[in-house]
Amino acid sequence: MIIELLHIIIPILIVATSLVAVLLRDLMASAISLAAMSLLLSLEFYILQAPDVAIAEAGVGACLTTAILVLAIKATARMEEES
Amino acid sequence: MEGRMLVAAGSLTIVSIFLIFGALLIHPFGVPNAYKMDQYIIDHTQNESGANNGVTAVVFDYRGFDTLGEATVLFTAVAGVILVFRRVKKE
Amino acid sequence: MMSKIVKTIAGISFPFITIYGLYVIAHGHLTPGGGFQGGAIVASGLILLLVAYGTDWIIEKIKESHLSILESLGALGFIGVAFLGLIFGGMFFTNFIAGTSMLFGGIPTSTAANINTGGTLPLMNFAVGLKVIAGLFAIVLVMAYAISKEEGE
Repeated sequence: MIIELLHIIIPILIVATSLVAVLLRDLMASAISLAAMSLLLSLEFYILQAPDVAIAEAGVGACLTTAILVLAIKATARMEEES
Repeated sequence: MEGRMLVAAGSLTIVSIFLIFGALLIHPFGVPNAYKMDQYIIDHTQNESGANNGVTAVVFDYRGFDTLGEATVLFTAVAGVILVFRRVKKE
Repeated sequence: MMSKIVKTIAGISFPFITIYGLYVIAHGHLTPGGGFQGGAIVASGLILLLVAYGTDWIIEKIKESHLSILESLGALGFIGVAFLGLIFGGMFFTNFIAGTSMLFGGIPTSTAANINTGGTLPLMNFAVGLKVIAGLFAIVLVMAYAISKEEGE
């Protein structure tokens, strides 16, 4: 029962955090939101019984990608320009 | 601007149609399509490769060439990044 | 360069992250995980150290050329074990240790975990783990160093 509930809640949260990452003007907040999406995706992999993929996703997606994105934001501009 | 919105709406419609049909045609959770290969690996992994973790046995033993390709991809990526970002001494 | 709180917490949690990553690499043939996953975890700990203590502190401890050498050693070890399979077993990637009396040569008789099993799988896990640690950390280190040099000028 609780697993079926998690199967419904976690994809909704994944879509919500992805939308937040697209809509925000502050790129640093977008990068943190992408890290949250990656953690939720690894949780989804775990409850789909794929722990190998979950560990890889948590390590690469939540830490390394965020570090590279934050470094890129630090080297360029933080706020997105108005078009 | 109007044309861009039209193109975006059209592509979104096409993608959603394919996505909904794909979601309807997917086989149910926990019932794999081709199970003979899976059953062979589940039965023989422990005796043939001596590992309790079947996933690692498949990745490094049965499908070792795929891992070799993955290692090559990682090596090429690291070599490319170091080549781009290396400091050149101005002398 | 961060504040003192971040430095202290990073210094405390770095050994635990490294031990966990090395555990995932060493038990790759028994529990979920393997060379790539454990290497990514260890590289995450090193990147935490890099963020907390600053690039200049790291770059005087280890250079990216050393990391490049380590990564090449990992790749050579991986291909070397595969070629040993070609020599001893007759085919590329043959698991020639499994079933013999060598180290890691045991065959598990039940589902109970025994570290002395797996044949060539633990050796390949170590090689791939070394390669992934050095490779992923080299990418972030080189990028951070380039950015810090750009800001300094």
